[in-house]
Amino acid sequence: MRWLARFRRRRDEEIDEELESHLRMAIQDRIERGEPPDAARRRALAEFGSRTLAKEATRSVWTWTAIEQLAADLQIGVRVLWRAPALSAAAIVLIALVIGGNTTIFSMVHSILAKPAPGVAADRLVTLGWVTDGDEHPDGSYPNYLYVSAATTTLRPMLAFAFNRFILTTGDGSYAIQGVTATASYFETLAIRPIKGRTFTDREERLDASGLVAVISQHLWRERFAESADIIGRTTVVNGHVATIVGVAPPDFRGVLFGEGSDIWMPLVAYAEADGARATLADRAAPRVVTIGRLAPGVSLTAAQAELATIARQLPRAPGDAWRSRTIQLFPYSATAAGDSLVAQRGPWFLAMFSIITGLTLLIVCANVANLMLARAVVRAREMAVRRSFGASHARIARIFIAEGLAIGMAAWAAAALFAFWTTRAIPRLMKPFDGNGSRIAFDFTPDWQVLGYAMLLALAGTALVSAAPAIRACRHDLQPLLKAGEQGVVPGRSSVSTGLVVLQLAFSVLLLTTAGLAYRSLAMLTATDLGFDRDKLLLVTINTRAAARTAPANVALLDAMVERLRTVRGVTAVTYARRPVQAFWWMEPVSAGAGAAPLVVERNEVGPGYLRAMGVAPIAGRDIDAHDAARGAVAAIVNQRLAAALWPGQPAVGRTLQLRAYREPVVVAGVAPDGLYSGYRRQSDPNFVLVSARHAPPPPDEMTIYVRYASSLDEAVPAIGRALRAVDDRAPIVYLRTMDEQLASLTWLVDALAILLGLFAGGSLLIATIGQYAAMAFTMRRRMRDFGVRIALGASTRDIASSVVREGLRVTAAGLAIGAALGLATAAALRSMLFGITPTDARTYAGVFALLAAASLVACYLPAHRAARIDPMQALRDE
Amino acid sequence: MSELLQGTLDMLILQTLRWGPAHGYSIAQAIRAGSRDVFRVETGSLYPALHRLEKRRLVRAEWRTSANKQRAKYYRLTPAGRRHLTREQSRWRQLVHAVRALMRPRGQEG
Repeated sequence: MRWLARFRRRRDEEIDEELESHLRMAIQDRIERGEPPDAARRRALAEFGSRTLAKEATRSVWTWTAIEQLAADLQIGVRVLWRAPALSAAAIVLIALVIGGNTTIFSMVHSILAKPAPGVAADRLVTLGWVTDGDEHPDGSYPNYLYVSAATTTLRPMLAFAFNRFILTTGDGSYAIQGVTATASYFETLAIRPIKGRTFTDREERLDASGLVAVISQHLWRERFAESADIIGRTTVVNGHVATIVGVAPPDFRGVLFGEGSDIWMPLVAYAEADGARATLADRAAPRVVTIGRLAPGVSLTAAQAELATIARQLPRAPGDAWRSRTIQLFPYSATAAGDSLVAQRGPWFLAMFSIITGLTLLIVCANVANLMLARAVVRAREMAVRRSFGASHARIARIFIAEGLAIGMAAWAAAALFAFWTTRAIPRLMKPFDGNGSRIAFDFTPDWQVLGYAMLLALAGTALVSAAPAIRACRHDLQPLLKAGEQGVVPGRSSVSTGLVVLQLAFSVLLLTTAGLAYRSLAMLTATDLGFDRDKLLLVTINTRAAARTAPANVALLDAMVERLRTVRGVTAVTYARRPVQAFWWMEPVSAGAGAAPLVVERNEVGPGYLRAMGVAPIAGRDIDAHDAARGAVAAIVNQRLAAALWPGQPAVGRTLQLRAYREPVVVAGVAPDGLYSGYRRQSDPNFVLVSARHAPPPPDEMTIYVRYASSLDEAVPAIGRALRAVDDRAPIVYLRTMDEQLASLTWLVDALAILLGLFAGGSLLIATIGQYAAMAFTMRRRMRDFGVRIALGASTRDIASSVVREGLRVTAAGLAIGAALGLATAAALRSMLFGITPTDARTYAGVFALLAAASLVACYLPAHRAARIDPMQALRDE
Repeated sequence: MSELLQGTLDMLILQTLRWGPAHGYSIAQAIRAGSRDVFRVETGSLYPALHRLEKRRLVRAEWRTSANKQRAKYYRLTPAGRRHLTREQSRWRQLVHAVRALMRPRGQEG
């Protein structure tokens, strides 16, 4: 605004100078005509008239444009704020903090939910959701993709791809990498142009004499090929198949999904053919590919949706497929829309949750700042009365307050943007960057223009809220009495607006605190749940055996050899392996509990010998899976106690057989384990398990997880384990390695992060509400100084005064608590599905919140009360 | 006579400036002399009018040193100002004709 002021000042000076020169010329004219200088000057001045008036009139030609008026108002606003720097700084910092915090969160949620993956041109991309009998699946089958892409005119082009874990074997070793097998249209649809070479062609989609081709990421090119210039045309070995590198993807592109981290792209069909999986890909009933399309030019989402619904009804039926209805749902593409991750599933919920918190905290803080402003507005009531009596309109006075609010809002916005830039960089470092499958999640929360726009919106909303209360108050009150009263005059009437704001703040604090409290308690319950196995000092080592073993029996033999070798490592007390680790998805099997009974859903996993022992679980009946099972012939399995009781009530389970869908032969129960959460934290309570001996039902070579229980320190164990595994076969690289605690945290970190954020917000709101109440009380006290003075003079004791003040304050607190509790209960009821192990009316949470808030409020009321009680009555009365 | 019809002062100023750039004082003097002392333009009206014309881009102003070594702000007609003046002149002539027709004593028409 300074340039404007300078500009205006210059114009003022210029007008002055112009009028001055006019006057000079008039005088000189008269002198030249023979008048004496004195008389000439006098007459010229008289003729000139009022100089001030002329100047004002001239100046007014230039001012009174809307922008300049706004600037002038803003200048007044800034000047007013400058006069009370402490208060203004407090207001700005409060709003900046809340906007900054909200912007940070919005930025995080926005980057998780709305941003496309880096490098992807998201414009007009849509993800297809395949809905069968109302059940939506993010994946479709490849034959269905072919059918739709041939039939559609609204989605041009379309792509299909599947995720794969690959082992890349180069001259200096084997590496586990994430990759994608995709149709040739993949790169075209996403508008990805290679920085070197080309992408694969339609012809290369089928495997022919020229062999497999691959596009690699710039990341892989740098990490594994040292950015060598002759990369195009080089061959590499992927999962044991020779592939020719034909292109390098642009630097930031690592796949379409959030945290995907893909490093290699190969043709979908050709790879399936090379891997002997052509038949699986051709299964119309098996959803295996993610499908994405780009809306053809001029086609709306609705039009495409209508067309695809029609096509979906015409989809051919696979043999034995018994669905009744079928449709395809289109979603605007986002990096999480096609994902199956917890983040994607919970995304909309988080967004709603955070929007509510955002709104509430903004309200609280604005209520507070409004209260501060209101307090000052009362002090400035006389100034406003003077302005009014000089003819300032209501609108003009309201404008002054709005200008003040705007000045605060803009300053706060700038500060908030800085704050958000800082926090969005700091927060990803606090988060656990892995998901349950060992994929590293790369967060980029840096705010973009949309987020900054959102912050601006918040700032404007804040401004409106902050300036509304004093503006309304200034306009509503009859200001005449204020002019008559002295400078220290008593302002009549208690401000109901101010009290209302305090109640509101307290209520919101209660709401936030209870929500945060419930989230914390829920999390505590979750992590304190007895899993049924010993989670301490247990290491999970996931390896990929695809390059080291060709067949399922060879796979198991390799793992057995590795287990044998690990047993000899110093500090290792027990070793076993499993096809799937804890806290990853196990296979679900419906198990018939006899004729007529509803089938039980059982989670299945194939495990190595000594599994129970390594997990620290003692069987209730029978025995653990052991190394001699294979010699006994039948497929050995362990079931949990609840399942055994359900299948064979009142009878011993050991020796019984159970038919599972996955195997031709029934499994024989070798042992019964106590109930526990063997597959990790789940939302369903009371899960059932069948642990099948991997030696009998050998899983094909793929990712396998070795469990190592160690007695030594982690630092010693990890390198020794790595060496032992490489000594057995260095073609089976470690995909990832983590402790059981870390593995379990892969589920809880999100809830954890949520609880921490909620806690921060709630704590902040409590602090703010307390300060707010203190400010309001202190202000009331100041206004009622004389009242107290009179009462003390009439013989009231300090205690009387103090307790009356505190009582008044606590009435406000009680109102806030009551409203807040009601809001809290309503919110918690809505969140019921997210709470784990506690009810929305958890008494301990509410008791805690009430105690905390009452204590804080007591402090806020006591301090002003204490001061009120020590007023010198003479002083107070003299001020009148 | 000091009250002028709104807009008339603007026209008079533009008319004065037709003969070349001039500063505020000389404009006032020219109007006064040209009207045989009938129009005495007050500074309180002259300068707002000049600045209004400047704002509307009908005149342009610049600081110059006058013949007798005084710094003064000189105003000059812009092409837009010249066009505006032409329009105003014809409007004024119509107005004068209309007023004259109205004010002529009865029976003297034709």
